[in-house]
Amino acid sequence: MIRALTTRRTETTPFLLLLPAVVTMLFVVALPLVFSLWTSLTPYKLTKPDTLYDFIGLRNYVRIFGDWDFWVAFLRTIGFLTVALNVEFVLGLGIALLINKITWGQRALRTIMMFPMMFSPILVGFQFKFLFNDNIGVVNNALQSLGLTDQAIPWLVDAKLAMFSITLAEVWMSTSVFAILLLAGLFAMPRDPLEAARVDGCNPWQVFRHITLPFLMPFAYIAMAIRSLDVARAYDLVAVMTDGGPAGRTELLWTLIARVGYDEAKMGQANAMAYVSTILSILFTWYFYRKLVAARRYMGGAE
Amino acid sequence: MRVSVESRASKQAKKVALWLTTFMLMLVMCLPGLWVVLSAFRPNREILAKPPVWIPEDLSLINFGKIFGFGAEQVGIPVGSYFTNSLIIALTSTVIALIIGVAGGYAFARYRFPFKGGLFLGLMLFRAVPGIALSLPVFMMWSKLGLVDTKMGLIIVYVSLNVPFTIWLIDGFFRQIPLSLSEAAQVDGCNPWQAFWKIEFPLARSGIASAGVFAFLTSWNEFALASQLTRSTDSKTLPVGLLDFTAQFTIDWAGMCALAVIIIIPALILTFIVQKHLIAGLTFGGVKG
Amino acid sequence: MKRRTVTSLLLGGALAALAIPAMAQDYGSFPGYTLRVKLIGGAQYEPLYAEIPKWEAATGAKVEIVSSKNHFELDKEIKQDIAAGTLDWCVGSNHTSFAPQYGEIYTDLNGLIAPEVIADFVPLMIQHSTVNGRLVQLPRHSDVSNLFYQKSLYEDAAKKTAFKEKYGYDLAPPETWVQVKDQAMFFSNPPDFYGFQFVGKDEAVTGRFYEMLVANGGAMFDDNWVPTFNSAAGVESLQFFVDLYNAKAVPAGVPNYTWDDTGLGFGSGSIAMDLDWGGWSSYFNDPANSKVAGNVGVIRAPKGSGGKRTGWSGSHSFSITEGCDNKAAAASFLTFLTSYDNQMVEARKGLLPTRAQVWVDAIAEFEAAANTFSAETMKTFQASMSEDAFTPPLIAEWIEVSNVLWPKLQAAIVGDMTAQEALDAAQADAAVIMTDAGYN
Repeated sequence: MIRALTTRRTETTPFLLLLPAVVTMLFVVALPLVFSLWTSLTPYKLTKPDTLYDFIGLRNYVRIFGDWDFWVAFLRTIGFLTVALNVEFVLGLGIALLINKITWGQRALRTIMMFPMMFSPILVGFQFKFLFNDNIGVVNNALQSLGLTDQAIPWLVDAKLAMFSITLAEVWMSTSVFAILLLAGLFAMPRDPLEAARVDGCNPWQVFRHITLPFLMPFAYIAMAIRSLDVARAYDLVAVMTDGGPAGRTELLWTLIARVGYDEAKMGQANAMAYVSTILSILFTWYFYRKLVAARRYMGGAE
Repeated sequence: MRVSVESRASKQAKKVALWLTTFMLMLVMCLPGLWVVLSAFRPNREILAKPPVWIPEDLSLINFGKIFGFGAEQVGIPVGSYFTNSLIIALTSTVIALIIGVAGGYAFARYRFPFKGGLFLGLMLFRAVPGIALSLPVFMMWSKLGLVDTKMGLIIVYVSLNVPFTIWLIDGFFRQIPLSLSEAAQVDGCNPWQAFWKIEFPLARSGIASAGVFAFLTSWNEFALASQLTRSTDSKTLPVGLLDFTAQFTIDWAGMCALAVIIIIPALILTFIVQKHLIAGLTFGGVKG
Repeated sequence: MKRRTVTSLLLGGALAALAIPAMAQDYGSFPGYTLRVKLIGGAQYEPLYAEIPKWEAATGAKVEIVSSKNHFELDKEIKQDIAAGTLDWCVGSNHTSFAPQYGEIYTDLNGLIAPEVIADFVPLMIQHSTVNGRLVQLPRHSDVSNLFYQKSLYEDAAKKTAFKEKYGYDLAPPETWVQVKDQAMFFSNPPDFYGFQFVGKDEAVTGRFYEMLVANGGAMFDDNWVPTFNSAAGVESLQFFVDLYNAKAVPAGVPNYTWDDTGLGFGSGSIAMDLDWGGWSSYFNDPANSKVAGNVGVIRAPKGSGGKRTGWSGSHSFSITEGCDNKAAAASFLTFLTSYDNQMVEARKGLLPTRAQVWVDAIAEFEAAANTFSAETMKTFQASMSEDAFTPPLIAEWIEVSNVLWPKLQAAIVGDMTAQEALDAAQADAAVIMTDAGYN
């Protein structure tokens, strides 16, 4: 019998096919999540394992919601994510558009474009920490040699500059992901609408805005969704570059969690914060998923 | 119809100009990375000198010597073990993730079933959990199961890291292949399973290759979970090995750069080889539902 | 022909007999036992581990290195092991700053290691390794900071005259921290050159503040463990860092500096004076790594207003777990790792030893080899080690207290708060920690 997409018979095949995926995720993620949830309701300290069994209800949550530092870190993290994702999108789009026009040496160029993806996040952290070192770092040395400044700019100390430096490092690390996904989108675009538009006399900007961009948006949303899932990798970077300092100026949720959880061994409280941060990630992802579905619908695709 | 009046020469010039601009842009983009690669061949004294030494004066392989145990420090770091571990772990987890991904992606692409949307979103959202929330419980579970400091332990974790994205990509890709092809094959006498292998899977090769590259790079470069779950040369991977160049107070940046070069090269080679498939595969993802 | 063969055989035999590992010490015999160890890893420490096969040959046991990580990763790992109950190993690398946190997982070595062996160690080091009366670790090498400086600056006649004019006393390597401040401001020429630098975050800055506090006559806690670091001495200590920062006598990035930044900074030749650890001395004098090689002077850490020198010190050490199934083998291994020969090997590389005899002999070796830099450096550090070195309070809450203190220290340095405000705020938080922990 021919298997068709329109069959409404409940089959076991799809569930069987999905079983390995579901089992893996449940095992590796869901179980630990449950454990984390439990510890967030206890005063669990790593160095005093018996505290695992004291139930204190929502006290950890109450404590963190009343903690000004936590909220500042929370908001700062949202700001960081928003700025980083948008900048990566715009830059990635620009790069993709450029490379799309090239006809010769595409393969090499695309590999070069993916160069930053070859760097482990912790390496990127050390790399930018040294580049931005105010005394012996390359950036300041270059600026001084070129005569653009006679100051040692404190890239990792001043509140605004430090956030800028971290964002730059994160953007450097991840723009390639956007670029390659958007480039794929450009490749996939059917030529007919473009030709038709040109024949009708539209200028390049109009073509871009009304045809190219809408077509690309689903790709963009996929990339954003993936990146917001992935952006917790930025933790390694920030931990090495500033570790939330100085004086908490670059404190993001993840550095706060790691410090409370490991340096102070207050695992229970750290997990409470981690849950809040998870919900944040989920909100971002869900937001982009809705936009993706809407964009697909707009382009006339099936669900 | 408007006839283009540009001469061939100026068209060529435009092309070259475009190429040069793009190339320069790429170069600037890669500058921080290139700095690391260059530093691998210079001594610490030069890399962070003040006033800066722009033209390298002292290019040598001494940093690589440190890794492999030549030169003043007789003992290197076990980079051979790290490399093999990384390779085995990254490749295995990629292959397994792909198998699970193809199965799952196919299910989402070809079938309608209850809870489909929810299941899809749910799988993605599992990925939203930050590593920090997971690391301790995973460690505890793993130690009860005897998976700490084993390659298998890390492989399982990496599979779960890569499955969501893989499914997403491959789902989008399979949607692109017209169902009619499979139907035609079945009319000719194949059963659904054969139709899949003979028709759909070969067409999917590019998508699978691209998902594979992303998965591989993620596993190859992953640090946080690896440093949690590895202990000795039985399972330590290259990124964790980077920290071998940090002692309590000192850091050998030049040595780290040399190791970084060793980490980057295989990834670069793999990406270049798979480039052809990468775009073709990604092209099929995402848009047409 | 035959005679020569016989002779050479005899000679060979004699030589071989001499060459058999002449282990002056008897490390016992543990055939067939596998000793599981977790050691601190990294390029600096590997040479010692290359000697392990000798111990294995002497005792018949095997050593299984279960984990080899850097300092902070190892600490995290041990905490996880405590949490998960996976303490299935015998020997672990430890550190005097971290040891108090681990509670009772490590055993008291006083019963395990022979008293004669312990007596060979510098007494102060053994004292530092004792927590709550238990010798929980055997120190392998210690470190303390002294003042490194660029010699050429102090030999420059023009500078000497200018300094005397401005400050009224002769320019010489500083004896007190007040002099350091004067000289730092004098030498600075931002952004090309700075007089001084310091680490500005994490436990690093807490430690630097702490030793300054002690040098200025203050204390972290009083007898009831109430934090007292916001005293006048505390403000004076913090103000030292604040003033230097405001005067731009230190690089603007110091609030983000850790040890690698300061070490690399001094090596780049852009800093006049650097209070740094003994472990850096060979790096500073190595032409491949450092621009100031051949121009480095070392002087004992300056004195504070209380007449005491700063001397924050910590030791890398080894410990044996309470749950170890063959403590004798573990004790033997510890003794081996910290043996005279092995400490000599490490001392030659510039790591400061913990055995009294090794100090003496290593210095003698350097002098015999006309290695003035290493000899002088080592003598300076020997004096510091035996007279000035002190550890932070050896309590489990030290890291927690440090974590509420250092962000406030930073806030004062960058000007978000005054020194008094910052210390008062930190004192309040620290007092809560100490009370919660049951100290008062």
